Amino acid sequence: MRVVHYINQFFAGVGGEDSAAVRPERRDGATGPGRRLDALLGEEHSVVATVFCGDDVAASDPDAIEQILQLIASTGADMVLAGPAFGSGRYGIACARVASAAHAAGLLALAAMAPENPGVGEAAAVPVIESGDTARQMGPSLERLATAARELAAGKPAASLDGLIATTRRVNRFSDHTSAARAVDLVLARLAGDRAATEIPLPDFGHVVPAGPIDDPATALIALVSEGAVVPAGNPDRLESARAHKWLRYPLQGRDSMAAGEYQSVHGGFSTVAANADPNRILPLDAARELERAGRIGKVYDEYLVTAGNGTAVGDAARFGAEWAAELKRAGVRAAILTST
Amino acid sequence: MPIARRVGAPRVVPTRGIPYPAGDPSLSPEDERAWRRTLLETALHAISTPVHGPTVFEPEGTAEPAA
Amino acid sequence: MHHVSDVALGGATRFQDGRLTLNVEELRRIFDDPALASVAISVVHPGESARIVKVLDAVEPRAKPRDADGIFPGFVSPADSHSGSDTHVLRGAAVVTAGYLPRAQEALADMSGPAAALCFLASTHNVVVEFVPASGADWADVAAALRVGALRLANALATAAVETAADEVEDLTAPASPPAEAAGDRSLPRIGAITNLQTQGAFKDVYVRGRSLAGSPPLAVDAGEIEDGIVVSGQYGHPALKNPTFLHQNNPIVAALRARDGVDLRFAGLVLSPEPVEQAAKETTARQAAELCRDLGWDAAIVTKEGGGNADSDVSLKMDALEAAGVTAVGLFAEMAGADGSGPPVVAPPERATAMVSTGNYDQRLQLPAVDRALGGSRFDLLDTDASAAMEVPTAVVYAALSPLGWGRLTASADG
Repeated sequence: MRVVHYINQFFAGVGGEDSAAVRPERRDGATGPGRRLDALLGEEHSVVATVFCGDDVAASDPDAIEQILQLIASTGADMVLAGPAFGSGRYGIACARVASAAHAAGLLALAAMAPENPGVGEAAAVPVIESGDTARQMGPSLERLATAARELAAGKPAASLDGLIATTRRVNRFSDHTSAARAVDLVLARLAGDRAATEIPLPDFGHVVPAGPIDDPATALIALVSEGAVVPAGNPDRLESARAHKWLRYPLQGRDSMAAGEYQSVHGGFSTVAANADPNRILPLDAARELERAGRIGKVYDEYLVTAGNGTAVGDAARFGAEWAAELKRAGVRAAILTST
Repeated sequence: MPIARRVGAPRVVPTRGIPYPAGDPSLSPEDERAWRRTLLETALHAISTPVHGPTVFEPEGTAEPAA
Repeated sequence: MHHVSDVALGGATRFQDGRLTLNVEELRRIFDDPALASVAISVVHPGESARIVKVLDAVEPRAKPRDADGIFPGFVSPADSHSGSDTHVLRGAAVVTAGYLPRAQEALADMSGPAAALCFLASTHNVVVEFVPASGADWADVAAALRVGALRLANALATAAVETAADEVEDLTAPASPPAEAAGDRSLPRIGAITNLQTQGAFKDVYVRGRSLAGSPPLAVDAGEIEDGIVVSGQYGHPALKNPTFLHQNNPIVAALRARDGVDLRFAGLVLSPEPVEQAAKETTARQAAELCRDLGWDAAIVTKEGGGNADSDVSLKMDALEAAGVTAVGLFAEMAGADGSGPPVVAPPERATAMVSTGNYDQRLQLPAVDRALGGSRFDLLDTDASAAMEVPTAVVYAALSPLGWGRLTASADG
């Protein structure tokens, strides 16, 4: 197999977060961790090219995936391996989208990332191979990816590949007993000493590495973002009040405050009376402008990003967060203040 | 707040109410504006402070690691 | 209890041999109020090809032997009424209000088909009240008029049965089994129910004896009082996660505990609690509930909620506070694992008391068939489609489908 390895700007050796806006590029042969991957793939397969892209571009520019696919197609490769992206949300989303696009174009494709990576939900028909949570687990993660790639190349069905992230799905069914009756059974079991009994296991949200602090906020571009569903009055773009599957952006240029009557909150999870009387209670623009005028921050970013955090599926929320990070970083924003309801 | 801690948000400023995260309708308009300013100042302090895990920044300005 | 086998319009309002007939003209006058221009009353039966959209509240018809003595205190009878007299229940019927109210999240109930098993309304003969608000009326007044009207109507219907012989009598003053010998009895764990009520104000409030519990500490009540309707719902969001008045009247947790009272547990009682929106108040309420249950001598508590992730916090905080106070806790949670079930099920789980019952995944999609008849509205606004059309919806829109009070048999589990 002729394999293309998709990675991000960091693993391509271009740079870290400061280089996350680099456009898609192609290099001959393997680069960075791709060299080890190439060796692990054995004699039959080789990494003929590496395609990489800045995480912010890949996760937010709608044209980027198409450009990446064109670069992949130009190599004449049969298979695309994307990642491992570990726990990095933007990188994981990019890997999933690249692999999906390659798959749709008729290539064999695999993505690799940690199980809680929001990219897992973006992979659709493409198998996602489990990687560790951080690059410290690069070695074992590459081994798993290489093993799965060799199996896929040999014709093994996608659903039986080794190392596939076991997505346990929660599926509805009817029990013989009501939830109330089962609650009584469960409490009696707990009283009898069974400390593990539960119908819902505790979730694992993964681990986020905190961003470093900003040295000088007085020069920084700061964005306001919210899941309080504050939108222009009339909700012209029809943001959902619950189970939102999208996020929106609206301009803030020339505004010193969120004017009552011009904005409303469409969040279905709380009483929006206070928010509608003064939308600054959800998106604190008036106070942010004060900070700007007082020179405490450089500037308020001229858009705000918004969704409704009411019954939002965690996978969607994680994806929004990664997409917002990509968007804002490309715009030069150094920090975002999120109001949470 | 427990949700923010549980999902691992690194920098969190606790506010007074779900329907008004950056406000407090029980205050007069001037006092509410001042409270909102205080919250944003706390946010600025948070983004200028290194953290190693979920950390709560109380609006009075003190920081404590979340449990 | 009087079992209802049929409900029909026409003639006098009477109940005989299981058949309830309604004098519609007379009953419509119960809703005379400046905030309502008109109401329409119709009937829909289990098994019909019918759908109710924009479902608001559902009330089980109940009455006392004498006037409205003690029924629905705060709305139909005086707020401080206490009546030890029998309560007559028309089992198998419900009064359902349906129509548009602001901030009501659109709910539907199908009387047959795949969604029927998810909603208790599919097994009751429903007296559906649709309404036209008076022009210029304040929506809060419209909601209040509907609420009082529905309660009065429910009372009027059951009153028709008061003089007839009951099919079944349930004695709530005695445990399900005779208590064991004194020594043995002490070994049965005392288990109670904590019912959290949404208290967010306009259109998102639940009333106890006519008043919102907002701002109140948790309240121990005589569990028998809920039979008389001391808890009335004014909460119109979260269709699948709603606790209508009907389910407060028939509190499933209380019923499940009563069913085993004296067998393998002692039913310790019922605590009602608000669900504050402010974080500090949530924590205080959780601590107060834990201390109350501990002081009442409970060994364990089953905690329920109303609402989504915000309400989950209240359950989780109470469960952890109870455990810290030495009271074993179990909570009922709905899951929000996404349409394919792959997301984390619960965002605000407890940290120490981790026994959670699942009432199902909110996001799982359902295919509903077209129906012959729709009540409550002609459009299903959420999908901008005809209300009687076939539609694909998340379980989240089916009325009380994920019953936080534990009515349903829907649950979710890992398919591996």
